Amino acid sequence: MNAWKFQITINANSFCIARIEDFTIQPNRILLLFGESGIGKTMLSKAVYGLLDTEELQVEINGYPYSKYAGSEFVQKIQSTGFFVFQEPSSHLNPVLKIGDQLSEGILGHGQIAEQDKELLWKSPVDKTFDNLQDIYPQPFRPSGGEKQRLLLTMAMRKLNLYLQSEQTEQSGLFVFDEPSGSLDDELRNRFLNLLLQKFTQKPFTCLIITHDYSIIGEIYRKYQQIVSRFDFKELYKDEDKLAVRPFEAGAYLNWISGVKGSQSSIKANGQPVLQFGNRFRVFNRSMGIFKDKGYQQPVDLIIHSGEIVYLKAASGVGKTTLAKIIMGLYRSDHFNMNLAGLSVSEKTSAKVWLKKIWGHKAGMVFQHADEALDLQADVYHIFKGLPGIRINRKVLIQELQRLFENRIDAAFLKKKVLFLSGGQKQRLNLLRVILLNTDLMILDEPLNGLDFNSIRKTLEIIRQEQQKGRAILIISHNEEIFDSFIEQDRIYYLAALKD
Amino acid sequence: MKNKKQSSFFETLYHHKDRLWSMVWFLGMLLLFIWDMLYLNRPALLKVIDGAMNTFLIAFLVIVFALFIAWLAVNLLFIIRRKGFFVLETVLTFLIDIIRSIPQIIGILLGFVFIAGLLYRNIIQSPMAILLTAVLIAFFVFQELMDLMLDRVNHFRRLDFYQAMTVCGISGSRILNYHILWKNSRRHIFNKVVAIFGVAVFLQCSVDFIISVGLSTDISSMDLPVTLGGLLAHIDSKQDILAIGHAITNPGYFPNLFFKHLQGISVAFSIVFSLLCIYKISNGLSERFRL
Repeated sequence: MNAWKFQITINANSFCIARIEDFTIQPNRILLLFGESGIGKTMLSKAVYGLLDTEELQVEINGYPYSKYAGSEFVQKIQSTGFFVFQEPSSHLNPVLKIGDQLSEGILGHGQIAEQDKELLWKSPVDKTFDNLQDIYPQPFRPSGGEKQRLLLTMAMRKLNLYLQSEQTEQSGLFVFDEPSGSLDDELRNRFLNLLLQKFTQKPFTCLIITHDYSIIGEIYRKYQQIVSRFDFKELYKDEDKLAVRPFEAGAYLNWISGVKGSQSSIKANGQPVLQFGNRFRVFNRSMGIFKDKGYQQPVDLIIHSGEIVYLKAASGVGKTTLAKIIMGLYRSDHFNMNLAGLSVSEKTSAKVWLKKIWGHKAGMVFQHADEALDLQADVYHIFKGLPGIRINRKVLIQELQRLFENRIDAAFLKKKVLFLSGGQKQRLNLLRVILLNTDLMILDEPLNGLDFNSIRKTLEIIRQEQQKGRAILIISHNEEIFDSFIEQDRIYYLAALKD
Repeated sequence: MKNKKQSSFFETLYHHKDRLWSMVWFLGMLLLFIWDMLYLNRPALLKVIDGAMNTFLIAFLVIVFALFIAWLAVNLLFIIRRKGFFVLETVLTFLIDIIRSIPQIIGILLGFVFIAGLLYRNIIQSPMAILLTAVLIAFFVFQELMDLMLDRVNHFRRLDFYQAMTVCGISGSRILNYHILWKNSRRHIFNKVVAIFGVAVFLQCSVDFIISVGLSTDISSMDLPVTLGGLLAHIDSKQDILAIGHAITNPGYFPNLFFKHLQGISVAFSIVFSLLCIYKISNGLSERFRL
């Protein structure tokens, strides 16, 4: 089969928002597309799939107006025999239709939900979650992010089963998975990958996986060596005023990750801890415990000394961010105690203590979604104005930004509206705001979100530098492969719900 | 090239309804002014100009004062809530709710009585009465702006946006005033201000009409500033308005409206046309800013 080649131009109100001269998808292969968030991966794949809104956007594909392209036989085929798993599962599910009905809607009803699919994605029969979800509406019951994500993956698998059962030898559909592991922990991510590749081995299909999860490369190279040659690893990047795709060197990532392991810090903890958080706490009517062993045997205090990086792990939705927000006084726990840089804090402590002594002084926190944590309407300079105890001038700010952006910063960058920055740039601003504060404790919630490979490397370097300056750092991330390598095993804690 | 520029200008007007209706308003009023210059007698013309100037000046001052009072109330409530002074919050909310519970027109009528009393005792003069009238109307319309600002603040308070800045130690006042109100809500506020300008025109015209009705042409109610509402209530204008009804049943009389009854027609047209344009401008802004 010939490669599917696309030349795409997308304009909004006469402004070109994305242009690429060669976006190629090879049929019956799996394309893993990396690139920093906000660069246009989703938009390009939606354009190819015929899903863009022509009322807001003016699109041209291979010289054809979008209406003509979207109505073409090619698009009809890739849609009718393929599937698109959207990045934000909530936007995919119909809130007023029972989940069970959605799983059988339209052509999906002709496919089977194989027991094996259920077992791999839903741990059936031990876990009855999937069966329990069948009879509810997405709203107001609100399945968790991970559950919604798995529901969409189940739909995609059902569609794939249809193709596997058919007598077609060449698949004309396109299966797009946009951030399929965004809400899944590594175990579930690996189960999904296993399932997908089992089906691919059975009968190849055309698949585009958009992801920031570079550790998926490690998993593929470890467990699926025999079909590595059927993968295309590519990276979308900005080349001056247009987008371009280049091969992504999987080997470079694998070499780097083994190098990261060797660079683990040897700073030895001493003196009083910067943070000592009690081993149990209660929030939202749930008791939670902190552990150092994966078996969750004996709860222990979460202790971070000056110059230490601690990694907090838990399955998606367990409450890692909740714990961070309790430390920062944003959530009120029913019961907890901690000592933060000499300050004793519990559920009885007044909110004024956080306001006057903790926020921006003893502790600072990087929130996981830069898009939501930054004022998108402000310019870059004003993101940093008003930070306590620091006199920010433009010259100093440019120097600091250059540390994170590798000398690509000039004065004009400070005047740019945050809204118009790429996802990776926003995430770095998000990180820098807390780094500049010079607090005793720095909590980083998903610090690698939305970053491309180079930015990940740079960010980890900066985190290491901050550690060496003596800051205590708590990292929360689902990017297990990277942080398991970056942080010593004895500095890893686990969070789990306790039985009441 | 010239053609291209012209078409782009009209295209802009077509897509930006707020700009289109601002222009329609300006041109309509200009046309009316030219017509009145040509066909309305000078004393009546001066009255109409005076009334229109006062009306729009008061409406402008209303939005300035309403903005200030709303901003002050939002800041106070924000500080009180942040510091956890629940009693103070309850008291302030209760006071605002009392003002809210008074029908705007009743409140403003009573206020007019108070201003008239001050004028009668020579405690204030006419220019001060304009200012007081604006403060009075602002006092009864500021809640709309305040509610909008509070909605915006509450919306952002629930987001990571607010919490992320808070834990960085950025002051509440900066988050509130710069990031929430200025950077993220000024379009919403501006749109509401335009709507309040229309409300101010409507309220003062209504109230002034009510208190001036029945007075002869040369008597002003307690020397309150002349507004379009007051002019409309005077006997001359009322006769002009009645003439519209006459023209409907006797179409042959219609052309006389634009010559013999120009004072009342001009005043009524100014009010109705301005309110229509302001309404359209506000809608256009909502559409353009996708509010």
